[in-house]
Amino acid sequence: MTAPFYFLSKNFEKESFEEQKCSICSGFLILTFLSYGAAAGPEGQAVHENPEWEKARQALASISKTQSATKTAQANRTTAQVCVLMCLLSVNGVLIYQLSFFPQINNLSPSAPAPSSCCPLNLPPRSPTSSEQPPPPPPPAIPPSPNSQYPLPQGQNSYNSMAYPNSDPNQMRGYNHGQGRPNYGQGYQTQNSYQLQQNNNQQQPQGQGQYGTGAGRGESNKNKNQKQQQQQQQQGGQGQQLWQRMKQAPGAAAVKFNIPKRTYVNQSFPPGEQPTGLAATPSSPAAAPAAPGGAQTRPQDWPQAMKEYVQRCFTACENEEDKDRTEKGLKEVLQKRLQDGSAYTIDWDREPLPELKAKQSRWEAVPTQRTLESSVGRGGGTGGSARGRGSGARLGHYRNVFSQRSPSSSSSGSSSRSPSPSHSRHRDRSSQRHRHSVLNCFIVGQIILPLTVRNHYYLKNKMLITFVLLHRNIDDANTTALGKKRKGGNAGLDFHDPNREAKKQSRAARFHNTKMRSEPLVLSINNLELPKEDLSWEDCPIVGTCQEITKIYLRLTCAPDPATVRPVSVLRKSLLAVKAHWKNHQDYPYACEQMKSIRQDLTVQGVRTEFTVEVYECHARIALEKGDHAEFNQCQTQLKALYKDHPSDNIGEFTAYRILYYIFTKNSGDITTELVYLTPALRADECVSHALSLRAAWALGNFHRFFQLYRRAPRMASYLIDKFVERERVIALKALLKTFRPDLPVEYVQSSLGFLCLDSCLAFLTGLGVTFFPSDPSKIDCKTSSACLAAS
Amino acid sequence: MAHITINQYLQQVYEAIDNHDGSFCAELLSFKHAHVANPRLQLSSPEEKCQQVLEVPYDEMVAAHLRCTYAVSNHDFVEAYKCQTLVVQYPYSVAQPFSLLSRALPVMFAVTLDLRIFANNAEQQLLKKGKGKQGDMLEKAAELLMGCFRVCASDNRAGIDDSKKWGMLFLINQLFKIYFKINKLHLCKPLIRAIDSSNLKDDYSMAQRVTYKYYVGRKAMFDSDYKPAEEYLSFSFQHCHRSSQRNKRMILIYLLPVKMLLGHMPSHQLLRKYDLMQFADVTKAVSEGNLLLLNEALAKHETFFIRCGIFLILEKLKIITYRNLFKKVYQLLKTHQLPLDAFLVALKMMQVDEVDIDEVQCILNYTDGKYMHKANPFPPLSSSS
Repeated sequence: MTAPFYFLSKNFEKESFEEQKCSICSGFLILTFLSYGAAAGPEGQAVHENPEWEKARQALASISKTQSATKTAQANRTTAQVCVLMCLLSVNGVLIYQLSFFPQINNLSPSAPAPSSCCPLNLPPRSPTSSEQPPPPPPPAIPPSPNSQYPLPQGQNSYNSMAYPNSDPNQMRGYNHGQGRPNYGQGYQTQNSYQLQQNNNQQQPQGQGQYGTGAGRGESNKNKNQKQQQQQQQQGGQGQQLWQRMKQAPGAAAVKFNIPKRTYVNQSFPPGEQPTGLAATPSSPAAAPAAPGGAQTRPQDWPQAMKEYVQRCFTACENEEDKDRTEKGLKEVLQKRLQDGSAYTIDWDREPLPELKAKQSRWEAVPTQRTLESSVGRGGGTGGSARGRGSGARLGHYRNVFSQRSPSSSSSGSSSRSPSPSHSRHRDRSSQRHRHSVLNCFIVGQIILPLTVRNHYYLKNKMLITFVLLHRNIDDANTTALGKKRKGGNAGLDFHDPNREAKKQSRAARFHNTKMRSEPLVLSINNLELPKEDLSWEDCPIVGTCQEITKIYLRLTCAPDPATVRPVSVLRKSLLAVKAHWKNHQDYPYACEQMKSIRQDLTVQGVRTEFTVEVYECHARIALEKGDHAEFNQCQTQLKALYKDHPSDNIGEFTAYRILYYIFTKNSGDITTELVYLTPALRADECVSHALSLRAAWALGNFHRFFQLYRRAPRMASYLIDKFVERERVIALKALLKTFRPDLPVEYVQSSLGFLCLDSCLAFLTGLGVTFFPSDPSKIDCKTSSACLAAS
Repeated sequence: MAHITINQYLQQVYEAIDNHDGSFCAELLSFKHAHVANPRLQLSSPEEKCQQVLEVPYDEMVAAHLRCTYAVSNHDFVEAYKCQTLVVQYPYSVAQPFSLLSRALPVMFAVTLDLRIFANNAEQQLLKKGKGKQGDMLEKAAELLMGCFRVCASDNRAGIDDSKKWGMLFLINQLFKIYFKINKLHLCKPLIRAIDSSNLKDDYSMAQRVTYKYYVGRKAMFDSDYKPAEEYLSFSFQHCHRSSQRNKRMILIYLLPVKMLLGHMPSHQLLRKYDLMQFADVTKAVSEGNLLLLNEALAKHETFFIRCGIFLILEKLKIITYRNLFKKVYQLLKTHQLPLDAFLVALKMMQVDEVDIDEVQCILNYTDGKYMHKANPFPPLSSSS
């Protein structure tokens, strides 16, 4: 085991890698190496062969050249390849795990290829240095595209060639996740094939679809295990040649790494071809067999999970625009799915919501990016969960960085986070880790997008890639990649980056797009309501024509009709009539109704004169007499406002009533405000002064004086005092009982508490449960009574 | 600062936002800052400029602020108030940099404070024109502040250091100011409860706590809960910054009556120091049991006392005055059984009209019944419960 490791490191040195500087990466490296060593040992494959490494490099280089020459899309691929390569090198530990998951991923969602590990996040290949050196560990970036239509055979071949029969036992455990899918699981366990191989397997079906090589899944597994090269041949296609080259390096670990990259590359979506949604590609192996009945489009026939998925999609929409977009996207996707039958096999619970698309527009993404992001997300998620030890913690760390930097999680993240039954296994074991990994993949997704965008650029630059990033602490890389807005350079990043300006611009553009207002800003100040009296009646005066003296009160629900409104002259008669009727009949309901209708007519005509005051005063008195609080208070409020313009002789009376009412409500705050507005003249008013002294007596607990004043109450004040006189009597009685212990004459109570006659006093006392001395019923037993009162 | 151009100003705002410099941002949005007097910033339609420089929603916030400065320069406080309502809706409703507490709080403090002041001024203006109703504007402002308060109070997700709950007390104090002004003390209750149940209540800044206790103390006083009122107001008085003499005086205006009711008389020195000589006669009358003097003193400074809202409280000092008067009678007669007539004479001397023996009994009654004690019928007030 150690030997290969050393060898590798040597190799790296050759390549002028500074492993030490990149703590995390080196950690990964070591891990991988170890595992490789383990694998290699039994097989006898040496990781060390320099020549092979070289070959691999060359192969890669050639590939990249060819491809870059062709199209941008292809260019993408190449970059991706290189990136992946680098990624693998640097973080192969992680990658491996993820790869092991691919099967699942594929099954679940055909479109989701294996995601890149954390590396992609960190290292967007920034500097264009040596495209020639493929192996460098740096950033991998492109997640395999869902469309394996592009399968570069090479990639697969490379996998095959890498056959790692004996994988590290630990790793095996990690892979067990994959066992859910029998085929893959078998592949892993029985055959000891490397995860990468599994990857191949998974991808194979796709590849087969395209190339028509026809190897079944199971077959492919076997093939891999046994003779991967055969598979390669089967797959054939353009990739083959490349693949052949690669083949030669099978033994070398480095080569192996390279190969995986290719796979990725293959998977990397051809931009143009990519289906809009991840979901759109029905290429998953699992789906293939199920592909049968295409035509079932009736919603009833839809699988329940899918219906729920649709529902989820729509509930996730934030606005109409989103809905429209979702609808459109869903239609496409679902139709495809239904037609090829994959709708019945897909794990809809896991399917990311298409709404991603809308949000991703923010990333100025080409459609492909969406796919990328989501697929990566998914793949990363699974991979992460599978990945046991090394990466979990780090992922957690990433997450922190991530969440700090961009709290607004992209929808891809949330979608990948959605729980899926098939995941439950993993979750049981390591739910926490799973979560981390999910987050991680989510990060991956986000970062990758920009990367892909930039890929074009790289291609143009003949795929110049530096490994500088590799040397940087992954954390650093992460933060830089994530903290897009962060100002100031990172110390480690000062290598020359031709893309910097471009990146800056795109960043600025993004910023601009999202943040700046696109429509002219309008301060909606005028919409605010002012505390005006809404539509004052005085603004649209009506003069009534109705001559009826009496009128039934009806609450107005529309503009008043002058024909039903009485003019003031008639209203005067009405008031007199009501007063007379009240004196004779004391029919409050009738009086109240008539008064209200008079008030209404006055209001409607905007009449606010002495007559109005008179009407309100009259109504207030009637209401007070009958204890109608609501009407009384309405009138009081109106009177207060009316008195400002039309002070009447009764202003003191109603001010006094107001003070008394405040005593009733014990509202000392309002009393104080009332006191502020009392003019000396008003204070001199009989009613007001009475009310004030009553208040003073009440405040000081001078019951004697209080009840004296009560009995001398002017006008209708006693009606108001009646409201709280009982309350005060009880308090006074308690004091009396305390003072006069042991016995208190009832007569004294009657006189001091303001009872007019003994009977009412006795009724009051017995009502409170006061006990009298049996020997002398005219005296109250203070001791027992006070206890009784205290209890009540 | 006073003469910068609109573009310079916007640039400063932009940088403040970009650097998450909450306090500077707050300054740039506050009417306590000099820039509001800058005629170059007083634009009637600053929207376009703001839009060009600032992101959503800061553009609207700043545009509204600038429009507000324009309105204020025209002495149109109603308009200013309306603009300020636009400003106020932002600090917490946006998720971006302001979501972080240390950045958002100063801004929120600044703009809510201005909102209240404008509401007040706008109301005065409306009332002068005979429009609107007393308290309407302030009530509306209170509603807005309540909205902010709810946002703060319901922030349960953020960690304690970054929680919006740190904004609660400031908002509550602003609301108190409004509620006390419009006499809606009952609305204070839920706010007080919110603070009582908050685990941060002792960690807010001292200034905020002093203000809070001042209002809570006043409320307790109006509710006749003199003991807690004394506690709150004493805390407030003791912790109020020594340079805030005006505030200390305001606290004393309420602390003195409460203390007196509980039997602690203020020293002449204190009254002089804080220019509260209105209380001097009252203090003297109460401790001497000089009912006549007390009535005079109350009548003399009635306006002042009423405006402070303490007239009714001071009135209760009469009870203590009676007590002290009767104590003198007792000391003169030196007997443990006192004829009620003696009290009657004393009261008449104090020119209490229409007193009869029954009323004497009644007064004796409410002076606490302590006179029934033979050994020491008049224990020190402050020791009685």
